[in-house]
Amino acid sequence: MLQYETVFIADPTYTDEEVDDLVKGYEQVLVAAKGKVIKVEKWGKRRLAYPIRRSEDGIYVLMTIECPPSLVRELDRRYRMNDRILRHLVVRVENEAQIGPSPMMKPRPERDEILAEPLIAP
Amino acid sequence: MRMGGRESGGGRGQDRGRKKQYKKKFLFRKKKFCKFCDEKIKYIDYKDLRLLQAFTPERAKIFPRRISGTCSKHQRKLMQAIKRARLLALIPFTSD
Repeated sequence: MLQYETVFIADPTYTDEEVDDLVKGYEQVLVAAKGKVIKVEKWGKRRLAYPIRRSEDGIYVLMTIECPPSLVRELDRRYRMNDRILRHLVVRVENEAQIGPSPMMKPRPERDEILAEPLIAP
Repeated sequence: MRMGGRESGGGRGQDRGRKKQYKKKFLFRKKKFCKFCDEKIKYIDYKDLRLLQAFTPERAKIFPRRISGTCSKHQRKLMQAIKRARLLALIPFTSD
């Protein structure tokens, strides 16, 4: 059993319930393979840095999982089969920091705070 | 030591003074250091956009090591994180 972190970007036309169903579907696949879910983070609808398949927005979902390595291929295949998933990524968990809440879940800092932060020295 | 010409008047002393000035120019250059070594950041997260944005200025290119001072070990990890973030459309590949 290894720990993986996977992020997928769903089409923005998905409703909240549909996204929940999608996540549930992947969870079932995991459980069937004796894996388990460590955490699920829904980042919600975000503006993409560049359009993917003519879409300007995407619904981001992060899942941290524990499963046998063979399941990664299966998961990858499932992501690919779904036409309404714009992008996906599966990576190994390298650091304990990845288990806890990701920086995305932190509250957005105030604008002034960003400006006050010093830039790196050239 | 060149004698004659314009420098002949000053001689040795003036020459030394010039050398000192030349050195001084570089005296106040800030020493570059690796941000990740300094802050003991072990894992560079591709989800930490604020961190990555600091290393992808203006045109969204990766900030070169010779300018940022990042050590080679961390630059490699940073590169990996930036590329992952680009794939997920979290940060742009390029911007005009």
